[in-house]
Amino acid sequence: MDASGAALRFTHEEWPYEPKFKQVNGWRMHYVDEGIGDPVVLLHGNPAWGFLYRKFIKPLTAAGRRVIVPDMIGFGLSEKPVREQAHTLDGHIANLTGLLRQLDVRNTTIVCHDWGGPTGLGFALSNPDRVRALIIMSTWAWPLPPAEFHKRIFPWRMMHAPLVGPCLLGRHNALAGRGMYLSVVDRKKFRAEAQSVYENILPDPASRLLTWTWPRWIPLDESARGLARFEWLERELRKSKLPTLLVWGREDEVFDHKTFATRFKELLPHAEGPELVTGRHFLQEDSGEEIAGKINGFLDRIEGR
Amino acid sequence: MTTIHVIENPTLEGKRRAFVLAEDRVGHYPEFREFFVKRFSLDANALSRPGYVLAPSGMVYALVFIGRSGEPFPDGIEVYALPDALEPLNDPEIDADLWALLRWMIAGVGGAWRVEDLDATGRLYQLSVAAGA
Repeated sequence: MDASGAALRFTHEEWPYEPKFKQVNGWRMHYVDEGIGDPVVLLHGNPAWGFLYRKFIKPLTAAGRRVIVPDMIGFGLSEKPVREQAHTLDGHIANLTGLLRQLDVRNTTIVCHDWGGPTGLGFALSNPDRVRALIIMSTWAWPLPPAEFHKRIFPWRMMHAPLVGPCLLGRHNALAGRGMYLSVVDRKKFRAEAQSVYENILPDPASRLLTWTWPRWIPLDESARGLARFEWLERELRKSKLPTLLVWGREDEVFDHKTFATRFKELLPHAEGPELVTGRHFLQEDSGEEIAGKINGFLDRIEGR
Repeated sequence: MTTIHVIENPTLEGKRRAFVLAEDRVGHYPEFREFFVKRFSLDANALSRPGYVLAPSGMVYALVFIGRSGEPFPDGIEVYALPDALEPLNDPEIDADLWALLRWMIAGVGGAWRVEDLDATGRLYQLSVAAGA
């Protein structure tokens, strides 16, 4: 079952890219694949899709890199399952793994944000022979505790509570609309340029299921479903020697850099950064070109260009 | 009338079930499942009948409880309006009724879950149905 309807193509002046599809792990996954060179994989989270990286693709391809931007199953132009039980953290890591193995990527740089973090790092840490660098932005990779924000009933736990989530985020599309709007710095620009794109790619309540399912996968206590996977992520990340760059939004109140970037630095003492840019949680909206420049500079350094 | 009333035997003749909302994981916070179990005596009634409620618009809703092997019952809930069989739904009325249903549920769950926080969440996300709450 799928709630995608006929949305297999998206036309926008900032998104002139040919849609590509692969069947992965039982689902139809959309991605764009531009440029030639070592691959850079750009991974979004909730409730975004590849469009979040629209300002990254040209600077990265112009620098001689291949850019792959998948839409997570449940978002963007990818298939959208209609039952919550279709979505698991391990399943999403397997979805990404299915795509990147089919594309047979090597020397890959994983750029991850929000739920693109646990899924992208899950791929990187279980396929180390395919990965050569990490770029980590506004995410986490350990079990407990989450941000203080995620423990509060207002607004976080209330927003995705039983029946409240399907109503507020499903019928009213609250996360792709108002939620993203609240999580950028230049809200006027976001409303004019992008908000309707994120809202319209999830046109019907059934297509928005993952927007309230992902919040339910954030571990809040020892009984959480994803706890063991997050414990594994933390354990394996601590062993990683992959060149890593941390990029964070200076104004990020949800995954604030003083807590989250600092924790990544503890796990990955060799990581560069955090490079702070203008941005709340969706820092790509406020500082897309600047972050792309930082990624190019970082990769140039480790490649000895 | 601004709240929800549980009713026992609504008139179903000439009505249809119109799907409006599904919750696949009512036990995500276990206190929500416990509320429905107690309110509709599901330990005794189980799958024998839906729970019926009368909403502010005058519409009756059927709460259909879903069981899944290996999971405590109920694992899910489907919410159906019961309009006249051939009449379309009035979406603004449905939205207002659903918000009333959520307020009634949160009040019933109680503890740390407060109706004030539900309303504040609705206002934060600019839901018109929460504006006057």
